[in-house]
Amino acid sequence: MDQTSNETLVSLRSVTRSVRLPDDQDLHILTGIDLEVKSGDHTAIVGRSGCGKSTLLNLLGLLDIPTSGELEFLGQPAERLGNNARARLRGSTVGFVFQQFNLLPGRSALDNVITPLLYAKGKEFWQRREIAMDMLDRVGLAARANTMPNMLSGGEQQRVAIARALVRRPRLILADEPTGALDVQTGQSVMALLDTVATETSAALVTITHDTNVAALARACYRLDSGVLSPLPMPETVGVSA
Amino acid sequence: MTGFISTLVEAWQELRINKVRILLALLGVALSVAALTSVVGVGSLAREGMKVQSERNGGRVATLSLNVSGPTMPEAAKLEKAYQGIQQRYGITTSTHVSQTQAGFQFPRGVTTVNVTIVDVGYGIIHRVQLQQGSWFAADDGKRLAPAVVVSEAFYNQIGRPNLTTHPTVTIPGDQPATAVMIGVVPDSYPNMPPSAFILAEGAAMTGIKPQMSEFKMWVGEEQAGALTAAINADLQGQFPGYYAQANRMDYAAYGDPLAPVQLVVGGVAGLVLLLGAVGMLNISMVTVRYRVREIGIRRSFGATSGRIFVGVMMESVVATAVAGLAGVMVAVAVVKHPWIESKVAPGLTEYPAFPIEAALMGFGAAVLVGALAGAIPALVAVRVKVIDAIRF
Repeated sequence: MDQTSNETLVSLRSVTRSVRLPDDQDLHILTGIDLEVKSGDHTAIVGRSGCGKSTLLNLLGLLDIPTSGELEFLGQPAERLGNNARARLRGSTVGFVFQQFNLLPGRSALDNVITPLLYAKGKEFWQRREIAMDMLDRVGLAARANTMPNMLSGGEQQRVAIARALVRRPRLILADEPTGALDVQTGQSVMALLDTVATETSAALVTITHDTNVAALARACYRLDSGVLSPLPMPETVGVSA
Repeated sequence: MTGFISTLVEAWQELRINKVRILLALLGVALSVAALTSVVGVGSLAREGMKVQSERNGGRVATLSLNVSGPTMPEAAKLEKAYQGIQQRYGITTSTHVSQTQAGFQFPRGVTTVNVTIVDVGYGIIHRVQLQQGSWFAADDGKRLAPAVVVSEAFYNQIGRPNLTTHPTVTIPGDQPATAVMIGVVPDSYPNMPPSAFILAEGAAMTGIKPQMSEFKMWVGEEQAGALTAAINADLQGQFPGYYAQANRMDYAAYGDPLAPVQLVVGGVAGLVLLLGAVGMLNISMVTVRYRVREIGIRRSFGATSGRIFVGVMMESVVATAVAGLAGVMVAVAVVKHPWIESKVAPGLTEYPAFPIEAALMGFGAAVLVGALAGAIPALVAVRVKVIDAIRF
């Protein structure tokens, strides 16, 4: 662990998120969320489809801001940060892993991993190719660096997506259903890889899933139900079904 | 600095990845620019051709013709003195007498009557005389003992096309038979034109060729034409009381630019072509952005700011259309400067002007403008994309 260990990365206090529907009614997606994510944490959030898991992940990754409540990112109130400041902070601190991989089409695995480094500065930008190759090597795909995403298997595509999420050494990794599009065995190996790399870099890993086996790999687990977040004792994670 | 370079790297990556789509879009822009530049270039060439032809007939812009008429013919010596005085007073350096007459010339098949124009040296400048070979009259040609003549192509053909460097001569029979030296050949104005010749006033006097209905022309330049016309009218009228004295513009632009409607039509066609190109490019750009919404969302999740997304989409469009514009201008230059096109568009010209730089700049500028406009709207759409929705797109 480095000196940033146990530093609070994101803190949510009484956070709500609602959207205005076309009939002028408010749809409350999240209500009264309290959550703290520290460096090195590995947290799982489970819940049924449509319970607000992705909305919570968007808030954690500064892709969205709360309707009310306090969201602090590295001690800075999110609502006081402008769009560009949030984008820069997100680029340098947060890595996203999506359920559908979201690899950029027409670009090789290496080019996909390079993409986040295009928004970096200094050494990270100028040495982007070497850094991206190292990261592909770490996920075991150095030999497939020049392969197009459509020529990769689902597991390989998710490993490329993980390499892309981690290439800027984020302090917070947000994984949205990372195994949702994979078979059980491939999903387990992908989660093991994500856990290993996150541990090696002391990054916090927040996984959103409805797969109890994936949730069981975390060190802390929460259930999100109808917009309300509640801690879930680890032994009980197995048995929560989607 | 890194930010700027990384934006360029990103734009280049986009161009490389989407080369087929971009190539198709660029083909449309390049064709539009080529059409626009060609239309303007051909229009400019046609205008120059018409202008030169008009100036050959009526004189350069602005040419004044001086006339004094009345109950009796004014005294020739007084008239000449008045013309010379006006030239000196108003600092006019280029002028000519012009008189049409006919004279017999000895050809191999016998004596033929030829239309002769009696002129001064300044006629060549005022009427943009272009020679097929040889030279126009020089200032001291009036002192020649054997008068110099500049003949038409038909004249030159009938006399047997002698080599001008050997100073070929032609006999002018009549009351005062004389031998003239052919010094230059001008092209015929139209096919099967009868033979004609130019001779200086001094030469005409020496050979007994009598002028009829002489007029006096002065080239004064367009800017001062209005003021000078009024001043010379008053001056001439004062010198010839009881006569009707006047100075009139005789050039093609005397009553406004008659080529302006041509320019207007050409400009309209060019504008229409550009508009079609811009709409095509905008259409492709909009479709492209819709296609790239998810990608834009993913990039935003990696930390791309809205400014970066805007510049990226915009730059991709501007860089691409600038390259297409350059290609279009090159195609247009190749088309407009093709000898066959030049000869058909401006048959009156023997020397064609260089490709109009304003047409090239307009084509290139239009391409960049189209790129900026066609890039700005999709770029605005791109920055308004909601990241969360875009990723799920």
